[in-house]
Amino acid sequence: MTAAPTTVPGTAPGTPAASTARRRRRRRQTWTAYAFVSPAVVLFAIFIVGPFVYAIGLSLYAWDLLTPARFVGLENFSRLFDDPMLAKSLITTFLFALASVVTHIVGGLLLAIGVNRAMNRALSYFVRTAVFFPFLISWAAVSLLWKYVLDPTFGLMTYYLGVIGIDAPSWFSDPTWSLPAIIGIDFWHTIGFTFVILLAGLQTVPNTLVEAARTDGANSLRVFWHVTVPTMSPTLFFATVITFIGAFQIFEPMQIITNGGPDDSTTSIVMYLYENAFQSFQVGYASAIALVVFVVIMTVTVVQFWLSKRWVHEQ
Amino acid sequence: MTDIAAPPRRRRRLRTGSLVVDLVLLSVGVIMVAPLVWLISSSLTAASAAFSLPPTWIPRPFSLQNFADVPELVPFGRMALNSLLVATISTAGALLVSVLAAYAFSRLSFRGSRALFVALLSALMVPTQLTIIPVFILMRNLGLVDTLTALWLPTLINVFAIFFLRQYFNSIPKELDDAARIDGAGHLWILFRMLVPLSGPALAALSILLFEMSWNNYFNPLIFISTPEKMTLPLGLVTLQSGQGGGSPAVVVFAAITLVVLPVLILFLLFQRSFVTSIASTGIRG
Repeated sequence: MTAAPTTVPGTAPGTPAASTARRRRRRRQTWTAYAFVSPAVVLFAIFIVGPFVYAIGLSLYAWDLLTPARFVGLENFSRLFDDPMLAKSLITTFLFALASVVTHIVGGLLLAIGVNRAMNRALSYFVRTAVFFPFLISWAAVSLLWKYVLDPTFGLMTYYLGVIGIDAPSWFSDPTWSLPAIIGIDFWHTIGFTFVILLAGLQTVPNTLVEAARTDGANSLRVFWHVTVPTMSPTLFFATVITFIGAFQIFEPMQIITNGGPDDSTTSIVMYLYENAFQSFQVGYASAIALVVFVVIMTVTVVQFWLSKRWVHEQ
Repeated sequence: MTDIAAPPRRRRRLRTGSLVVDLVLLSVGVIMVAPLVWLISSSLTAASAAFSLPPTWIPRPFSLQNFADVPELVPFGRMALNSLLVATISTAGALLVSVLAAYAFSRLSFRGSRALFVALLSALMVPTQLTIIPVFILMRNLGLVDTLTALWLPTLINVFAIFFLRQYFNSIPKELDDAARIDGAGHLWILFRMLVPLSGPALAALSILLFEMSWNNYFNPLIFISTPEKMTLPLGLVTLQSGQGGGSPAVVVFAAITLVVLPVLILFLLFQRSFVTSIASTGIRG
């Protein structure tokens, strides 16, 4: 896989011949670079930029994918504001994301601290493997499995809750319990990710800092709040943002287990988008909803970027 | 067999609290694996005895019939092959596209390079849910709906992979290129014979991530595929469960889930460190 050498032999630097050669070389390098990036650029244009622009255009139309599209201007956007189902799905999604962030960060941090101590190596291996592995299973398999784990008649969870004296609700037919059930499933599925990220962050906290604080008489709790948390705050911040963005796009367990119900209690924003786009074929309105998702994610990303930049400057 | 980011060995006085924490961690671990153990043991139990209460942890009577029933209901082998095919093409293709682009951004100066790079990075904020409707229309116009091509083609562009590889290439000293160039090497040689072999860990982490993303994807197949013979495993599982005629028996669904989860578990136990490094170094939540 050899190509022609890019240096021109026989030219000494500083001579007119050398400067033309350099210019020629630079021009050739530009064409080489274009050749190298062109597959990425073409695919980027076809599958990201084009669709992005097209989606914005679509949001100005009413279209069912079959009959000709009809231009409706900003009608889809004014409809967003009058749509109680959109409001409800946004509230559901924000609630889910909030619960997801809190449970993942608190749970992940506690687990990471628990494992990052001197402990039996076999136990440590077991806990780390058990906590991380579910993250690698597809949402489809996780959703189906948990549908049965929480089954009101033969479910594993139902039985053992009964053993300890708790009468388990019928999770997926009770609007009060359907969302908490999915929050729980999501925790089981993705805590491994948060755990690994936070454990890696925790291991960057310098031991000397902890020892110094201890020598000064700080107890474990004070060391945690005044040394551990500030030192790993960039990691905590990153984990929070990435958990929020992931949770905001929750879709699979809703589509697979509850189909958004009961009483639309588990219709997340992406679930609602999917229903509009691919079940009732209101492609224009669905694009407007997709733009809402985009704006939320963009806002969070920009705020994160801005905050983390400030952080770096302050240090 | 290596394990997840093992903490450094530290000698410390045993405190009473330590034992309590150990017990709590042990129960968390047990609760985490319980559904999986139940899954596997139920799938190995004869259909008549499965899901009895209290739950069976040891398959009795033992039976492999549930596994034999899976292909009767959905073309499971075909689906597994589809998953493998799509994930392999997607991973290899995205790696190739990304490696080439990353080389240009890391090693070559060209007009518009900065603007292009910023444009690519901005695309990280664009969720698939926004682009999927136009991509669906595009695939429909190209006649690619309900084909495997619709699944892997859009995944060949992965902005994160380009960014990640560029960062990695940047950490490799440019003096190495100069030395190679004096010896007469061209760009393709420098990239594929020098930078790529030097980027083993980054490429491994990225490959695992890309493969996992494709292997586990449910959203795109749900939208593009309708024929069982064209489905990948995640969609196949859900189709098996919901079924055309009121759904399949739960034990058969369990057998199918086991068939999907078990290879991942085995690969994970063998290459645990690689999986964890892939997640920890890329920071991508799949």
